[in-house]
Amino acid sequence: MPMLDIHDIHTYYGNIHALKGVSLTVEEGEIVTLIGSNGAGKTTTLRSICGLQKPRRGSILLHGEDLVAYKPHQIVEKGVAMVPEGRGIFARLTVAENLDLGAYIRRDRRGIQEDLEHVYGIFPRLKERTRQVAGTLSGGEQQMLATGRALMAQPRLLLMDEPSMGLAPLLVDAIFDVIQTINRKGTTILLVEQNALMALSIAHRGYVIQTGEIVLKDTAANLKNNETVRKAYLGIE
Amino acid sequence: MKNMIRNSLRTGIVFGIITVFLFLVGFTGTAANILADLLNNESAPPLFGWAPPMLNTVIFVGLIGLWAGASGASREKDVAGDPYGAAVLGGGIAGFVQGLLTGLVMALVGTLNERGVMMSKYLAELLPAAVKQAMLGFPPPGAGAFYLLFLTAAGALGGLATRGLGRGGRRPREAIRTWAREKVEVLPWVQSLRRSPAVKYAVYGILLLGILLLPLFAGQYWNYTIGTVGIYVLLGLGLNIVVGLAGLLDLGYVAFFAIGAYAMALLTAPTPHNLMWNFWLVIPIGILLAAVTGILLGAPVLRMRGDYLAIVTLGFGEIIRILSKSDDLSDFTGGPRGVPAVAGPDFFGLNVNSGIAFVYLIFLSVLLVIFVTNRLQNSRVGRAWEAMREDETVSRAMGINTLTQKLLAFAIGAAFAGLGGALFASRNQFTGPEDFNLMVSINVVAVVIVGGMGSIPGVIAGALVLKGLPEMLRQLEDYRVMVFGALLVVMMLWRPAGLIPSSRRKMEIDKDAGLAETAEEGRGK
Repeated sequence: MPMLDIHDIHTYYGNIHALKGVSLTVEEGEIVTLIGSNGAGKTTTLRSICGLQKPRRGSILLHGEDLVAYKPHQIVEKGVAMVPEGRGIFARLTVAENLDLGAYIRRDRRGIQEDLEHVYGIFPRLKERTRQVAGTLSGGEQQMLATGRALMAQPRLLLMDEPSMGLAPLLVDAIFDVIQTINRKGTTILLVEQNALMALSIAHRGYVIQTGEIVLKDTAANLKNNETVRKAYLGIE
Repeated sequence: MKNMIRNSLRTGIVFGIITVFLFLVGFTGTAANILADLLNNESAPPLFGWAPPMLNTVIFVGLIGLWAGASGASREKDVAGDPYGAAVLGGGIAGFVQGLLTGLVMALVGTLNERGVMMSKYLAELLPAAVKQAMLGFPPPGAGAFYLLFLTAAGALGGLATRGLGRGGRRPREAIRTWAREKVEVLPWVQSLRRSPAVKYAVYGILLLGILLLPLFAGQYWNYTIGTVGIYVLLGLGLNIVVGLAGLLDLGYVAFFAIGAYAMALLTAPTPHNLMWNFWLVIPIGILLAAVTGILLGAPVLRMRGDYLAIVTLGFGEIIRILSKSDDLSDFTGGPRGVPAVAGPDFFGLNVNSGIAFVYLIFLSVLLVIFVTNRLQNSRVGRAWEAMREDETVSRAMGINTLTQKLLAFAIGAAFAGLGGALFASRNQFTGPEDFNLMVSINVVAVVIVGGMGSIPGVIAGALVLKGLPEMLRQLEDYRVMVFGALLVVMMLWRPAGLIPSSRRKMEIDKDAGLAETAEEGRGK
């Protein structure tokens, strides 16, 4: 049984039919990427999974349990954490407070403290800035903070929405390295990206979404060599 | 140079208009009276042929002129070689323009007055005697010329003063701050005082003692005012949770205040229900009722965000007031006439309903509420509220049940207002619909904003300024509201984050400092 099994979901914003029957699966331990252009429905898919935008039809099974019935905070408790689009850090709170909020659902103080050290181990930059207001961090540091904050929830499934957005190429490399590290330590990752080349280079499998529908699915290596993908998303003739 | 002249002209026009306005509404006369009280020169011998009232008018106008000159000059940074000349010129131009406007109006009004036109028919304050006083014993054209020359000189002097205070024509406030940093704060005894925590506690202790002893000496009228300030502190702290921490703009906060007050009134008064319950029993009932109403109102409307929430809560506040006023409900609520003879507290058979005891009761409530707020602010719940205020969607993705947290914030805020309302009704021994109009809600929002959102000392300062200051300004009589408004504007310009901002807000305003720090660390690597 796959860890996450999304079957034929239809999500609407008012009258706008944003997802027209999206199906995808994520196996335990994988990095799966969902690539597509602006407005294709990538973010909507993530919002549907974590309950921020409920699908009207279809099912989202996490270990066989349908998430559609649950509220966002209950879904977090089931082990799904998100790194939101545009980072979504709490700009007026300090770095430490942001990380603390990542562990909001947890009560095990010692475990939280251990994970905090763990996050600071992955992102030493954050440790230097624990008492700094998050809004004054640079873009790359904010992305680190958003990622670290999501890890603080001890997720089994981590949803990442365009972690490369607005970052310098060097920082993008660093962030993708971290994503791989996190994955090797046992967290399953669903990665939404516009930077298709980077995403496919670290993912195991990939899906291509276009105007609310999955148009292609394959292993990452095959997608990288796929003629359509190369033309449309990789910019390679 | 051209820029400088343009700025000075503009400053002069603004100050000129202000001076003319103050004269036309008769404020110059009032200010002269206040100055007379202040300088205690009412019966002093005439100076330059001016009796004290005229002399004080001149002093007041001169002060405005100095200010105009200072503002007119401080805009120009430096003119090569001759900073003094530029400052004097800038201030002088501002003063000249101000004087020109003032002089023209004075001459005109003075002339009309001499021709027997009753100016006071049109502007109530321009009585013949008042105009005569403003003419300073000159014929009208002479008075005009005098104001022109006098204000030009005052402006030039004001301009010069800016150079004397700070090097290179900085604003006076900065100059004073630099002076304090460079000259005072480096003194060894000042530094050791600053570092020692004992000084901090001593200051707090003295302040607290002062506040605690105040009601014993304040007298009945001031104790009433202190009590009102205290009740507004309660309201402010409650709204501070809703607006400052949870970020929900509630413009109908008065509703919960009214519910607390009516609970106290209806359950303890002989009319209209004759229940006559005990004060101490009703206090928790009032708090609870308000909290429950908060949840009942919140459940349907808290799904809305921002402005929509503000409008709905605004409506709710009015609904409660209109219901309490309704004739149909007058058998239940006492209707438009309100509820008289609300009970006061008794303490083991001892009636403590005197003004002083009640002030202490309010103090006690304030301390209690401060304690609760402080604990909440630093708890998991407080953190969740702040996250919600920052970004509701993301906080939901963090696992925060935003609806529950919002309801909690609403209920606790309402509970504080309920306590305030119950005390208010009992203290006044009366309550009626007119105690709960929209202005109360707006005042409480203003207390929170002027004081500093999310800051407990800020709320106290805000309540003192908004409810205490108007009482202190009674001297100004008719100009009370005008001066109060002007003070509010000045305060918000001077301290945009509030009088005593929360440490978080301060961090935000000092963002540049934080950024500079980051940049420096970055360079270090």
